[in-house]
Amino acid sequence: MLKENGIVKGFCHSVLPAVVTIALAFGVSALLLLFSSHSPIEAFSTLLTSAFGSPSRIAEVLIKTAPLMVMALGISVAFKSQVWNIGGDGQFTLGAIFAAFVALNLNLPGFIVLPVSFLAAFLGGALWGGLAGYLRAKFNANEVITTLMLNYVASYLLSWLIRYPMIDPDGHGFPQTSLLAQQYQLPIILSGTRLHVGILIALMIVLLGYLFWRSSLGFRIDLVGENEEAAKYCGINVSKTIILTMVISAGLCGVAGWGEVVGVQYRLLDNISSGYGNLAIVIALLGNLNPFGIAVSSFFFAALLVGGNTMQLMEGIPFSLITVIQGLVIVFVISRVVYTQWRDNVANRHFNRGAR
Amino acid sequence: MDLAVEMREITKVFKKVAANDKVNFNLKKGSIHGLLGENGAGKTTLMNCLYGLYQPESGKIFINGKNVRIDSPQKAMSLGVGMVHQHFMLVRPMTVVENIMLGLSSKRGPFLDTDRVERELLALSKRFNLNLEPKAKIWQLSVGEQQRVEILSALYRGAEILILDEPTAVLTPNEAQELFGILRMMRNDGKSVILISHKLEEILAIVDEVTVLRDGRLVGQAQVTAETTKRDLTSMMVGRDVLFNFKHETLKTGATKLMVNHLGARNDKGLPALKEVSFSISAGEILGFAGVDGNGQKELCEVLTGLRPTTSGEICLNGKELNRSSPKTFINEGIAHIPEDRHKTGLAMNMGIARNLILKNFSQSGFSSRGLLNFRAIKKNAERLMEEYAIKANGVHTKVKDLSGGNQQKVILARELSSKPEIIIANQPTRGLDIGATEYVRQKLLEESAKGAGVLLISADLEEILQLSDRIAVLYDGQIMGILGRNASVEEIGLLMAGVRTEEVEVC
Ligand SMILES: Nc1ncnc2c1ncn2[C@@H]1O[C@H](COP(=O)(O)OP(=O)(O)OP(=O)(O)O)[C@@H](O)[C@H]1O
Ligand SMILES: [Mg+2]
Repeated sequence: MLKENGIVKGFCHSVLPAVVTIALAFGVSALLLLFSSHSPIEAFSTLLTSAFGSPSRIAEVLIKTAPLMVMALGISVAFKSQVWNIGGDGQFTLGAIFAAFVALNLNLPGFIVLPVSFLAAFLGGALWGGLAGYLRAKFNANEVITTLMLNYVASYLLSWLIRYPMIDPDGHGFPQTSLLAQQYQLPIILSGTRLHVGILIALMIVLLGYLFWRSSLGFRIDLVGENEEAAKYCGINVSKTIILTMVISAGLCGVAGWGEVVGVQYRLLDNISSGYGNLAIVIALLGNLNPFGIAVSSFFFAALLVGGNTMQLMEGIPFSLITVIQGLVIVFVISRVVYTQWRDNVANRHFNRGAR
Repeated sequence: MDLAVEMREITKVFKKVAANDKVNFNLKKGSIHGLLGENGAGKTTLMNCLYGLYQPESGKIFINGKNVRIDSPQKAMSLGVGMVHQHFMLVRPMTVVENIMLGLSSKRGPFLDTDRVERELLALSKRFNLNLEPKAKIWQLSVGEQQRVEILSALYRGAEILILDEPTAVLTPNEAQELFGILRMMRNDGKSVILISHKLEEILAIVDEVTVLRDGRLVGQAQVTAETTKRDLTSMMVGRDVLFNFKHETLKTGATKLMVNHLGARNDKGLPALKEVSFSISAGEILGFAGVDGNGQKELCEVLTGLRPTTSGEICLNGKELNRSSPKTFINEGIAHIPEDRHKTGLAMNMGIARNLILKNFSQSGFSSRGLLNFRAIKKNAERLMEEYAIKANGVHTKVKDLSGGNQQKVILARELSSKPEIIIANQPTRGLDIGATEYVRQKLLEESAKGAGVLLISADLEEILQLSDRIAVLYDGQIMGILGRNASVEEIGLLMAGVRTEEVEVC
């Protein structure tokens, strides 16, 4: 949703849906806690300290925020255009593979290899998503199915690569590639933690996302999603735009994979996308497909993930609380989506057909 | 006389702006009542309140003297209120009976009692002269017939009060006369009718009373007698006199602009829709296309804008061949297009007015620089065009779906006519516009042609065709039956429209 009015007002508008939904989820889980005779205050403060209690925990939250944010942003580009890209995991994986391949094989200084691997990761994701986009544009193949199937292909491809051609020769047959050289790893920005520069890059990408919806390309994608027939009438090549949408969307998912390889794992290993793809869909919807809404939402989900991990190690706290909150957020987000679709349908039935 | 409907002090507010402001409306039993007003005056809104689509913020509604709360169309129908919207809500592959039975419960439990309904429909259709075959499939019916299906459906559901929102906008003059016959019959039967229309001749011809709205307020209710004139109505509606007749300057055409030779094309069902269509338009010329809707008009417009492939023939603009070019090429070559279906084709309903006004040229230098949209320029452009075309809305970012029908049409017109076109393909350009706006658009078309543009004008309104065109082509069954001079008589055109060829056909 791009605002033509002031940035501050626009920002508030765009984060509002996410904030309200999250607040609702907390409200309902507080009630549930009360019913099961736990103190909500105690539980929430534990959650808070679990996620933000120490610099290293804060760092972990931000480390997880970055890929979620970039991926959800990618997903939102497609969704905005009514292209249902649910293959974020596969595109992430391809991005990771391409990035690792470049970083492992290009023997040049870091300041060259890192950008090149970044581009390669974008390209890897874009190829994967672009394929689904092409099939949709040319043969009207449902992208929900193609992107989902490509997820499996990507995951098996990764498994095979790290077991055979790309396996670490000194790794005692362990299914992973060798470690990236120090100079190919993203610099740490908070010493004593694992926090790497990725979060800053992600924030920059969010800003670009904001500008994207104010660009003529963004307008074009928006229009195709809004009304394909009108887009054709306006001289827009709809097939090309759909493919381009998927390329951008999937490219961003690939970039998230790049961050995981050069910022966190420093190598390729099984299941590298750790299911971020599904979360990214929820985050994109929670953020109402708006870049700033997505930034806030991904931070929230990252905090839940880290808080949940920490809380599992503690005693006496119902750590299923995390699952409950997550579940509630998903339920609310889906209700909101269903509700708006229902509302638009009703409006369409009665008015768009020319009641006026 | 008893009142069928009494609406008292109805107020309906959208986003802080009152679309209806304490409006009173009285409908006498057994009468036909005209509802008039400029685009955006609040006519449809008032009727949607009566039909249960909107809930007014305040005010009371009485049906047959009883105070009622109408919270849904179902409720309205149970109270005997039916409404026919301007576009129809029929399922095209199904038959007339099936469409009418949709949403009704069967008297035979889980089984459909199609036969009984069919008999009843046939009887009803006979009684009101609707002339419908219940077994016909919707897609086989003309627009006029489809409209009668909607009326039949309302009658079958027991409508005693029928609301028709701009029913004649999509009809040919003949079809409109037929419709009026039906309405008179309903009046004789004791039913009451509310008719929204911008065509004052019709109002004078058929209604007993009028109510006039302006800016959401009631400005008057009056009897219509033999003495009432168009001028009386317009001065009530607009608050001043409107010029009715303006002169079309004499022909002074230039070089040939658009040349179409032996054009053929198929319709959506794959059947031939255009056969051997040939004509040319010169600079400064308006070529009118008369013809009953559905005889290839839509396909012709689409072929001439690159939206539909041709099966034969060629299209030349300024000597340049445009066959098989993309829609973009047609746009870049200066072909403007006012499409027939404004909702599906011409507008992005969920976007604001400002964006809809740059739908075709948002990537051009004026509105974007270095790939970023220039919101200042976009807003300025919108403000200018909204002022020029009198588009009534809360602001430049108002979503188009929240505009009144006429104002939506104005958005398209403003965009297309402001693009400095070489050729204007205008399919029903004044459909749904009030008199003032209609005059403005006709003036504008004449102005553009005076500046050297060629205009292809399609209209169901013969008067409009006769008023504006330099030459008049008649389209029948995908063929041009003949091209007549501007002095052609209505009878001549009428014959060709019915598919009867005459002798003195001028070949272009
Ligand atoms: N759903 C809506 N949301 C916001 N504003 C609306 C909505 N519906 C109508 N309006 C506004 O209310 C006013 C009256 O609209 P309405 O459709 O009743 O006009 P109308 O008299 O039927 O005009 P027309 O002749 O153009 O069809 C308009 O200014 C319109 O913008
Ligand atoms: Mg209206």
